[in-house]
Amino acid sequence: MKVMHLTWEFPPYKVGGIGTVLEDLTRSQLLQGIEPVVITCGFEGKVGYENRDGVHVYRFDADYIPAEDFHSWALQMSMLMQNKASEVMNEHKDIGIIHAHDWLVATAAVGVKHMYRIPLVSTIHALESGRYGGISGDRQELIHSLEKKLAYESWKIVCNSEFMKRSISYSLSIPHDKIDVIPNGVNIDKMRADFDHGAEKAKYALPHESIVFYVGRLVWEKGIDILVGAIPSILEKQPDAKFVFAGCGYMTDRLKKQAYDLGVADKVLFLGFVDDETLKRLLNISDVMVVPSRYEPFGITAVEAMSCGLPVVAADTGGLAETISHDIDGIKVWPESSNSLAWGICRVLGDRNFAASLSENAYKKIEKQYNWSSISTKLKLVYDNVSKQYSANDWKPSMPISQDS
Amino acid sequence: MNQLLLRKILRQLKIDPEDHEAQNTPRNILMISAEYLPKDLTPQSLHCKSLADGLVDRNMNVNVISYDPWKAGQTVEMGGVKVHYINNPIKTYSPLTWALTLAMEINRAASDIYHRDGGIDLIHAHQWEMFPCGLSLQAAIKKPLIVNYYSLQHHRAPGVSNGYTDSVKQIEWRGSKQSQKVMVNEDWLKNEIIKYYSPEPQKVDVVNSEEKQWTKKIVRDYKWVFRNWNNGGYEQ
Repeated sequence: MKVMHLTWEFPPYKVGGIGTVLEDLTRSQLLQGIEPVVITCGFEGKVGYENRDGVHVYRFDADYIPAEDFHSWALQMSMLMQNKASEVMNEHKDIGIIHAHDWLVATAAVGVKHMYRIPLVSTIHALESGRYGGISGDRQELIHSLEKKLAYESWKIVCNSEFMKRSISYSLSIPHDKIDVIPNGVNIDKMRADFDHGAEKAKYALPHESIVFYVGRLVWEKGIDILVGAIPSILEKQPDAKFVFAGCGYMTDRLKKQAYDLGVADKVLFLGFVDDETLKRLLNISDVMVVPSRYEPFGITAVEAMSCGLPVVAADTGGLAETISHDIDGIKVWPESSNSLAWGICRVLGDRNFAASLSENAYKKIEKQYNWSSISTKLKLVYDNVSKQYSANDWKPSMPISQDS
Repeated sequence: MNQLLLRKILRQLKIDPEDHEAQNTPRNILMISAEYLPKDLTPQSLHCKSLADGLVDRNMNVNVISYDPWKAGQTVEMGGVKVHYINNPIKTYSPLTWALTLAMEINRAASDIYHRDGGIDLIHAHQWEMFPCGLSLQAAIKKPLIVNYYSLQHHRAPGVSNGYTDSVKQIEWRGSKQSQKVMVNEDWLKNEIIKYYSPEPQKVDVVNSEEKQWTKKIVRDYKWVFRNWNNGGYEQ
């Protein structure tokens, strides 16, 4: 079976987590006998076809799209994506499923679905109502209604946690039985790194310091301000803690000021965007990973940390609440509470044996439940069911479309 | 070429002139226009209605997809023209975002027409709001696209350059480049399109709906485009 994935980001171009997830997913789909065809944006002249370890990747030129804002940029990008997808359909005439990833590609996905009469499966990685704690303003309304339309047009919706299933059902008015939960995974082999830990740690902290690590966008929904707010309390009990934040976002300056106002600026290191290799090393040298999110559909950073044997302290929210078993393979703390977060971090830093048992259990869980092989098997089952229903349905092309004239 | 002479040559070649005519005439025309009579916001709606009626008089099957939230989902037959009404379920905040999201519903309606009526031979998109979808349909069904301009963004927002106007201009530019024929209703607009978007001058035709037999001229254009398309005269 051939599946056409529509995604605006795909490695080497990455913005959020979708690109990384799709790279691992498509590779594991090859092992399931699925032939993935990816349509995605090309930047800086990197357009055209690439065979990426067996995955067909087609990139269209997304460099020169004038736009008043990101939303209208995304819609124009999606229009170009649809045209590219139509072009690719002529090369891969046996595509059986269109798989769309998030609202940015909604218009392309719905257009291709109808023109070729091929069933559409969508993964909703996050919701606009969750990202900003509600819907207000015309830009948010646009995204929200696009999410609704995409969900309506999809034969099946895939999301990565039970929390997301409830959110999609409630926010987009979609029946539960149309939504399947399949978690994201992690490639454990990819997370292993062989390097000089001491030398690497010296880049960020003194030898006696413990690294409290955060990675993610520095935006409101990630709750990084809650972590900064917890730093004074943590330092009271763990004066050797050093806080290292990787990622960028619109809150960067505000967070730096918050740290300065709290008198802890010398204990916080803002690294900005880090590449995959640096991230892997940071995960391997840190002492505790913190995920203080207000909204987290899944929490891939927590899973990645667990796969490196790094103890995780996370807010008891969204998908994180399902990934972590409290006191067994991680620590869950009250969301929106700096005090609770400080308690959790101190608990890990103050008891090395406890931290080691969390790490060990976390690694076992990831190995068993979050490997790409089992994830792509579950997704294949979704595809198979959709294909079966489609076969029994009248909605089909009456003649092949895009016959060359 | 003189029609009588052409028929004579065809007979000598033992080709039935009627078959030859049929093969070179697009029969199933899809028009997409945001406006269509009785909804009358600009002269575009009257132009589209008159054109569709004229095409039906010349034995063409004409399907029109048009926007009307009150009639969405209905297909109304008016004098042989089938008008399919759609709505836009997306909450938009500008004509640009409206046009780009309306394309989903146009695709759906066009797909229904395509699979039910046995195909579409030619797409005629009216004004820039319909060009993104016209181009997507062209890419999908691989049939020629004709674009009709009634005005240009350069005149609607003279001297303005910002994200919005530049986006609309780029869509207008794409329409002029990627379509097989550009139609306007006056010489002045033809010259302006050539000045701003540089399509080949012979690609732009002036068809004034106040002239007698104007739909005959359009049908001639349709046939010319269709014939060239079928003969591989365009990059497809």
